[in-house]
This record gives sequence, structure tokens and C-alpha cells, in this order.
Amino acid sequence: MENQFDVIVVGAGNAGLVAAATTAKNGLKTLLLEKHNIPGGCATSFRRGRFEFEPSLHELASVGTAQNPDIIYRIFDGLGAKVDWRYEHNTFRAIVKGKEGYDVTLKAGIEAFCDSMEQAVPGCRASVHALFDLVNTDNRALEYITKKKGKPNGLTMVLRHGDFMRAASHSVEDVMKALGMPEKARNIINTYWGYLGVPTDELNAMHFLSMLNCYVVDGAAMPYRRSHELSLSLAKVILDSDGQIWYNNEVTEFLYNTDGSACGVVANGKKLYAKEVISNVIPNNVFNMSDYGKIPETDLKLANARKFGISVVTIYLGLDCTREELGINDYTVFIMGDANPRKQYDNRQRDGIYIVNCLNKVIPDSSPEGTCTMFFTIPIFGSDLPKDLKPENYKQYKNSIAQKYITDYEKLMGISVMPHIEEISVATPVTFARYLGTPEGTIYGYMLSDWDNLLARISCEKDEYTIPGLSFCGGHASHGDGFSCAYVTGDTVGKRIVKKIKGGN
Amino acid sequence: MSKPNIKSLNKMDFLKIVPNRKQKISEAPANHLPSVQSYKANKLAAELHPKAQYLEVAEIIQQTNDTKSFVLVPDSKKGTRNLAYFSAGQYLAITLNVKGIVLTRPYSLSSSPRESLDGRYMLTIKRVDDGLASQYILDNWTVGTKITASEPLGVFTYEPLRDAKQIIGIAGGSGITPFRSLAKAIADGDEDADLTLIYGSRTRADALFQEEFEKIATSCSRFKLVNVLSDESAKGCEEGFITAALIKKYAPKDADYSLFICGPQAMYRFVDKEIPSLGLRRKFIRHELFGEYRNPVKDDEYPAGKSDKFGLTVIICGEEKKIECCANDSLLETMERNGIAVLAHCRSGICGWCHSRLVSGDVYVPKSVDGRRLADLEFGYIHPCCTFPLSDVVIDVPPFQS
Repeated sequence: MENQFDVIVVGAGNAGLVAAATTAKNGLKTLLLEKHNIPGGCATSFRRGRFEFEPSLHELASVGTAQNPDIIYRIFDGLGAKVDWRYEHNTFRAIVKGKEGYDVTLKAGIEAFCDSMEQAVPGCRASVHALFDLVNTDNRALEYITKKKGKPNGLTMVLRHGDFMRAASHSVEDVMKALGMPEKARNIINTYWGYLGVPTDELNAMHFLSMLNCYVVDGAAMPYRRSHELSLSLAKVILDSDGQIWYNNEVTEFLYNTDGSACGVVANGKKLYAKEVISNVIPNNVFNMSDYGKIPETDLKLANARKFGISVVTIYLGLDCTREELGINDYTVFIMGDANPRKQYDNRQRDGIYIVNCLNKVIPDSSPEGTCTMFFTIPIFGSDLPKDLKPENYKQYKNSIAQKYITDYEKLMGISVMPHIEEISVATPVTFARYLGTPEGTIYGYMLSDWDNLLARISCEKDEYTIPGLSFCGGHASHGDGFSCAYVTGDTVGKRIVKKIKGGN
Repeated sequence: MSKPNIKSLNKMDFLKIVPNRKQKISEAPANHLPSVQSYKANKLAAELHPKAQYLEVAEIIQQTNDTKSFVLVPDSKKGTRNLAYFSAGQYLAITLNVKGIVLTRPYSLSSSPRESLDGRYMLTIKRVDDGLASQYILDNWTVGTKITASEPLGVFTYEPLRDAKQIIGIAGGSGITPFRSLAKAIADGDEDADLTLIYGSRTRADALFQEEFEKIATSCSRFKLVNVLSDESAKGCEEGFITAALIKKYAPKDADYSLFICGPQAMYRFVDKEIPSLGLRRKFIRHELFGEYRNPVKDDEYPAGKSDKFGLTVIICGEEKKIECCANDSLLETMERNGIAVLAHCRSGICGWCHSRLVSGDVYVPKSVDGRRLADLEFGYIHPCCTFPLSDVVIDVPPFQS
């Protein structure tokens, strides 16, 4: 039948692309539906004048190299998706303003990282080492849990993997304090909280440590042609495997059988059916496009209980001089008004934290000769937008934020940016709400805090979102936000569906 | 330094993770979820960027023999209650149905942003000799005509953190429209800039909005108009073309200024040759959309073709249509003429709205209007609005939804 597929994937974001590529590559008749005219969601690019900007990716974790591939490399390579990876071997530079402030640059590689930390906070080396040892402890425990297919023996866990249990059930700050890490050292390392959107007194330690480890061990990777390359590369896999991608096809309804199982969707007014529907769209939106009678009570309660993750304001600058001329020597700089992550989070609208990237440091020719680009990121929630913000004041709102942060950066760094702005674009949660369609313009799905942390999600995965024939993948799913987590959930769900439809192992 | 003692944390807390989560979920209500538009960010996004705006012609003003202004108001019966706010310099892509052929054309808003808050947009459209769309509009739109328009689009706008505060506007013919909007926005206090508008017309009678501009100039010291006539001389007007010398005459002597240029392609070609001698940094030179690219076969870098007629296969959602195309017509134009409605906004290679996949075949994309992304080049994607066939071509195109 023309409108009948094995698999329909809704949304060509990172996870949707990998899921569709996985099912198509394995011979399932796959249709990927995307409301925009290009794939990628956050993983895209946009042009202004002679510049092409990376809109969202800072540092892709868990990539690795051909010689030493990590999970993301293996997913892309396994699908046959070619990407021209470029690498950054520093983790970040952290600058805290004020008298108690500091300016620290941390190198990648565990020993180099520990050296940089020891230099910044003499005496902290042992505790930093202990942190990385804990990662290995965690990994051994996770291997065991995976080997036992998610049903580990309780006694073995308690006797052999007690430290894993400790890290997995406490916050980053609690674990670091227990390891005797000095406050300044904690603050420096915990600068990374911004990448997960949850301050470290609330963030699950195991989750944070696995991310930290990825960046420190592998460094970060970026595609040469902005994230649009990642998305088109995955799209090519789908098309080469006889899968279909229909752009400008917004799904407006999810269809269910009388027994409650999902059976298809409506896109552009057309009913399309599949054995399995995979949603890269956040459950809240899916439920609003469904007959509520078909949504299990637990799923609905879960959606009601959750908080949306953070969003960002981003400032994209195309400058008419080189980074060398400006004196920019770092790819990633975190700039903070206070050293404490909780204060950075609470003060996010004032002098909390912002990140400044210069892609030319990693990819020198990522902008035309004689130019460079800068990318400012300020984490804020969609609900942080001024209550009285009206459409007619929006441009001014954007420009006032841009002016504030650019000026702050200029003063702090002694670098003159403003006179060189040849192109500028400012995105806010409104922009992400527009393009992603997520509630409050969240780019981080649901907040990974407290009871909704990564470990809790993974532990309960099998009991949640139980509608037969409907699976979820993406930043809102079990692994949380970030490009690599989204790819992993797409990979997991794609493989599960292949196994379900085709059988076998 | 204290000795690491992770053992001080209770490992049995691990056992609470699952029950704690289940408890939290069970305590939550099972309410239907708020609609996505109920959130501030989403509501603002929908107000600023509606997927379509349904409008109605409320008033028509005959500006000159060949130019009319159309005042557009929301068509609330079709669901448009408010008009999207915009920045002076932006355009609407208007969808037209000309005898069964669906076309989309960009027209700059000539009204001020502030007027949109009162539910009024204005487009000013000049008859173009071979312009299917402009002829159709001028001959067919009457008061009460229903129109489907896009959200406001485009980046030909004043950006305070990028541009010089003093703007020299260079306008030719109907390229005056975005400057009317900008002049009014400045007079309204909605843009903080000075505008000196150098406006090229053939004759005094061809120059649009003269009375209005005079009025604005009288009440607002930040706006100044300089008329430049090519075909006649008139009191208070400059004569000839817009040359570097003329621009220098009106440009600030000791301060930076931004050039904003909007007009027909012939004017861009002329002015672009004049600009280098002004010694401006590139960031201070802003062009509005180039418009449809014509006669690519005359380009110096055009590769010699074997013939000029080819087959074009268009795939839309898996369905194929076969039509003919020729070397001198863009793939977009060819599809439209053959009754295939295609997404398009800027028609100038820049906005990417017509982004499509080149499945097979050779094409020519003029460098000056190639607004594609790097990965598009690598993976074979095109903007049909400025892509010309060099062989039989197969393309995969998103379906049209107005």
C-alpha cells in the first residue's frame, strides 16, 4: 500500500535521523517526516552575508577518531555516514570575574587535565584523580548491569559496585565534597554544568562524570561544514537505503488503533500508516496531537510532573577581521560573575554565566579569509522571558542582550569586537520555539534534575511511554540533551525497532 | 587536604532512585497538557512568525501610471487577527494563483512597522514589462481581494550593533519601498538612525511618495531626501545617475556611514562599480535581494551546453512528474510554469526556502547568487530559484503548502 510503511519517524532532528537511517539501512520501509525544508533540528546552519553559522553545537562529545572510535564515531561509521571531523584538544577556559576570580585553561587528556587543575588549585590533584577513578568504577558497574540486561544481582551491586551506587544516587557537589575536593577546584570543573543545564548541587554525579570523562579523554569534535553536514550525511544514508524523507510535512495528528496501539500519523492532511511510529517530537506535543483517551495515565502524569529544560540566548557574529588580529586564542571560554554554579544558575539573567566560542580556532577556514566568527551562548529558560515582552519590542530586547554581553566580553578581555561586526544574528528561546516547536523553546527537553535525572530515567525506561507501536527518541528522551545523547537514543530505538519487526538478535 | 572518603555517602540511597521517581510521578495530576501556544516563548514566536497571514485588500492608491499601493488588512474570517510586526526593510512573500499557476513573489513592505500594530500593511507594486506577477496584481487586485502572505522576511534591515548610525539609502525605481518604511520608522522613533535617501528616477513624475517624504523631512530632522533624475532636470533635483561623486556629496565627511542599496538589477550593476572608490568597509555595504537571475548563458563562467532543452523530473513526496526545461530558465520558474507549485520566498538564491535535492544531472548556479550552505554543495542540494539545467535533471522538491 502506498501510504503504508514499516516505520514512520516523526521529526528529522539528530535522533530522528539516526533512527530512520538505522531502520532504512536494515531494510525496513522507512518514511521520515520533517516539518521544515531541511533536516537537523538544532543540527543545521544558517547563512548571513558571506558567513555560514553553526547555530547550536559547541562541542560534540564521545566522537573519538578512526583509530580510537567512541560511540558517536561508531554510530556514524556503522551507518556509513561520512563526516569530516575536526578536533579540539583543550576542554575550556574558565574566567570568573571579580576579586576572588580566576582565569584557568584546562587541557584535554586526564594527566594534562589534572596538571592544569593542580596548577590552578595546588593540592587538588588527588581528588581530581579520584573523580576519574570513579568514572572507571562507574563504567565497570554499567558493564555489569548491561551484561545482566538491566537486572543486576542486588548483592553483587552492594558488595562490588558500592561506589557506583554512591555516585549514581548523589549530586555532583556531594560526591566531590566526599572526595575532599577543594571548593575552588569543584567550581572550576563544574563550569561544565552549562552543557547539561542543571546546576551541580542538583545534577546527578554519575551523569556529569561520564560527560566530563568524554570531553577530557576524547576532547571535542566538530564537523567541518557546520552541523548541517552531520544532518545531510545521515539523510544520505536514509535515501541511499531507499528510505524516504518528506520535508515540509508537518505531522498534525498521531493515529491509534482501537486497542490503543499507535498506527500512523497525519501529515499535510494525509493519513500515513506504519507498523512502528518513532517520535523525535517531545511527548508533550505528541500527546496534544493524540486522542487523550489513548494516552496511559502514567505517561500523562509523567508529562505533568516534568519541568522543561533550559534554553539559550545565542549571539552569532561575523567579524571583518581574523581571530589573530583580535587576539582570540581559545575555542571555548566560559565567563562567570561568580564561581559557584548555583549562583551562576540563579543569576542567569544578570551576571551568571555565558560561553564564547570562536570556531576559527578549531576550523581556521570556517569563515572567509580575513574574517572570523564568534558565538555567544547564555543559558536561560523560555519562562525567563520578560512577561511584558511584546513583538514590537523584541528586536530591541535581542539587541540589548547582545550589547550587554559583547560589551562585557570586550571589557574583560580587552578585545574590541563591536566595530568589526559585519553580520549579527541573535536567537532567543523564541527562536527555538519557532524552529523546534518545543514548549518554552526548550532545547534540552526535560530538566535533568532531582527525580528526573539520567539514572532515574534509564532505570525506569521500560515502565514509561508504553503505548505499543510508539517510541520516543531525542533530547527529551532517556539520555537527556546534547547532540551525542540524542544520537545514542536514535540508535537505540532504531535498533530496537529493527529487532522487533525483523526478529532475531 | 582531607583524605578522599566517598564511603561517607550512603550507597543505599541508590535503592531510592526508582521508588522516588515513581512516587513523584504518581503524585502528579493526569491533566491534559497545556497547548504549546500557551507558553510565552511559543506565543511570541507565533505572533512574530505566523506560518501564513491571510489578508484582504482594503484600499488601493494609484501612485503613478504604472504603480499602485495596496493597503492590506487581516482577513479575520480566515483566522488572521493581527498582523505580524516587522523591521523596516522586510518583505512579504505573496502567493498568487494566476490561471491555475501558483506563484510566490517577494514584495517589500512600504508601510511603517508601527502601522502593522493597527492592522495595516502596505505593498507598493510597479508594473514590470515581462512580470507575470506584477501585471496580474495590478490588473486583478481590487478592494476585497483575499491574499495569502508569508510572515515578514528578509535581512535588509537596520541593525544598530552592526551598521553605522548614518545611513545613505540608494534607491532606484520601485526599490524605494523599503526606504519608505525605514523613513517612517525613524520618524516614529522606532529606529535610532539617520537616513539620507538618494533616490534615482527617470523623471520627477516617476518618483514615488514625494509629498510624504517632504512631510517626513519637515517634521523629522533625521531624514533627508535627494532626488536624482536620469531623463530630465528639475529644480532641487540632481541630474544623471547615482555616482560615487554624488554619494560622497551627501555622505558624512568625518563619520562612518552604511550604504543600503535597493533597486533594479541594472542599478546594482551601475552602483556596484561606483562603490569601490568610496573606500567603505564591506560591513557598511548592504544590498537588498538581487531578484530573479536572468540570462545565465551570457555569464562569462557559464559552461557551454550541448543543447538548451532538457528533461526535468520533479519528485514530490515520492511522486514523479516529467516536464521540459531550458538552459535559460531557473528550475523554479520552469516548475511554476508547468503548474507545479513550489516553496519559494526570496527567489534570489539567499533564503533557502526552495532548498531541494539534486538527484541527478548537471546544473549551473551563478556564483553571485549561490546562497547555499557548504554541506549542500557536498551532498548535492540546490536552490531551484537560481539553478539552471545543463543536462536532463532529476530533483526532489518539498511539497507546496501555502
